[in-house]
Amino acid sequence: MTGQALLWGALYALPLLVRSDFLLTIFIFTFIYGILAVTFDLIFGFTGQLSMFHPAIFGVSAYMTHLLAVHAGLPFWAATLPSAAASVVLAVVVGSICFKFRLKTFYFAVVTLAFSEMIRLVVMNWNSVTNGTLGLVVAGKPTMYWPGSGVVPIKGPVAWYYLTLVCLSVTVLICSRCLRSWMGRCFGAIRLNEDLARTLGINVFRYKLLSFAIGNALASFAGGLYGYYTGYIDPGYLGINQSMEVLAMVLLGGQGTLIGPIVGSLVLTGLPHAIDLRAELRAVLYGAILIFTILVMPRGIVGTLSAWRSRRVS
Amino acid sequence: MTQLVLGQVLNGAIIGAMYGIIALGITLTFGITGIVNFALGEFMMIGAYATYALAERGGLPYPVAVVPGCLVAAAAGYLSNKAFFRFTRNNLVNGLLVSIGLISIFESAAMLLWTATPVEMHFVLPGALRVGDIGLPKMKLVVFAVIVVVIVATYLGLARTWLGRAAFAYAQNPEAAMLMGVHTPRLETAVMLYSTGLAGLGGALYASLYSLEPAMGGVYVLKGMEAAILGGIGSLMGSLWGGVILGVIEGVGSILLPTAFRDAYGLAVLVAILLFRPAGLFGDE
Repeated sequence: MTGQALLWGALYALPLLVRSDFLLTIFIFTFIYGILAVTFDLIFGFTGQLSMFHPAIFGVSAYMTHLLAVHAGLPFWAATLPSAAASVVLAVVVGSICFKFRLKTFYFAVVTLAFSEMIRLVVMNWNSVTNGTLGLVVAGKPTMYWPGSGVVPIKGPVAWYYLTLVCLSVTVLICSRCLRSWMGRCFGAIRLNEDLARTLGINVFRYKLLSFAIGNALASFAGGLYGYYTGYIDPGYLGINQSMEVLAMVLLGGQGTLIGPIVGSLVLTGLPHAIDLRAELRAVLYGAILIFTILVMPRGIVGTLSAWRSRRVS
Repeated sequence: MTQLVLGQVLNGAIIGAMYGIIALGITLTFGITGIVNFALGEFMMIGAYATYALAERGGLPYPVAVVPGCLVAAAAGYLSNKAFFRFTRNNLVNGLLVSIGLISIFESAAMLLWTATPVEMHFVLPGALRVGDIGLPKMKLVVFAVIVVVIVATYLGLARTWLGRAAFAYAQNPEAAMLMGVHTPRLETAVMLYSTGLAGLGGALYASLYSLEPAMGGVYVLKGMEAAILGGIGSLMGSLWGGVILGVIEGVGSILLPTAFRDAYGLAVLVAILLFRPAGLFGDE
């Protein structure tokens, strides 16, 4: 517990010590992907449902936040809420269909992937709104109230660093609150043995749907932030690769933990920048590290470390 | 209009057969050994590029180049199984991740060797057969025939021989099969060799029809996966039918409905079928 508090403290203190924009940028991407990975872990690592729906939520919320900001004149923060609401609606529709028909593991993954692909095709071909494959340029910036100078736009690496870090912290906080409550117990029961959970009187359908909806609603913030940070949105946001990337982050860091996905996100976003090679060789190395970690450390970095530590203590 | 639909049905069936051969590999590896090989598309790419290199650069005639093309893909499959895949038995997520890693490795290796520029082979068998008003390229018909023969032969081979029964026994209960005298590690290797060799064959046939690029595997493995699930995981003939149905739905869908959503038609049908027949069309309940 103290270890985690120290880690968060170190993250909040980092920009005071390090003045490298390069490093801060890596961390900003880490935090945004961290939001995705943590929420994915809520659905996959804690509830045991291999969802492939994250790219759809990521992309749709990125588009919606931007479009609402441009066409309805909403500020960034006000625009994220309808996006989150839309994500919940999407998640409830897709989740109800999947869970009503009791699709599990592989089949759940395939059906959510299918829905995600269909949404991607809609986004890609709805030219009048989304500008098709060309994508949209996001010119706006999120704003915030700063005592003394009123409403100021958030720009520059340090401001973005704190913005994304706070968003990540809030996400982790909400997730850990959920998991400590009766909900988390039900999620765990469903993950370990769904039939047993049902005989114990847990409404499996409702809790699976709840986990899916919460995970996707929180994931929607990552989409809005990412679009605004990179200043550019295209249908590639909804690609299958995103899903694989997030899955890799969670497994690499350690599924079933809240810190693991963030560590995985840091490794996978930082690694390509840390290695100074040509793009093809970098991809080879990326693949090799992924395979190596999965085969040697099946519980991920955090899982392996904590197992190692508890063995040393006992 | 009827002509157009009929033409698309035939064309879709031929493309669908190509999905079917990948689906067969997926069904075999997953159904028998419990390994998810999502990287089959990459073995297809390897087979395609090997055939291309042997036929265009090496000067071999195309039918001769196909065989070493498959062998190269099977050899790559053998190595990946020995090094990685055999550790992911009955673990869907690890299989998926190892596959992602392999996709990344193979794709960038192909980029280094052949660059991202698409390459194309000369026409192997020019000319088209006319059936009524529909023209069907001869090479496509040959490809379709080869795939159907291969899938039916695999089905018969597994249904009628001792090896096939051993494979089914292994799929049901590996320990019991081992006790009955099945050499299980060898069987597992054989299934892996065969499925990646099949993907290589698919690639070699693909090379005679379309242009090649390092990223070609991704699309085909997805379609193959869809076809395998549509037909029912573990059902061999189901993989052929699944592929053909998928190809026809996409072909016909894209003329009756907007073409841009081509990929969505197959997916929509897949979801509908999964909801009402979770084991697929030809799978066991």
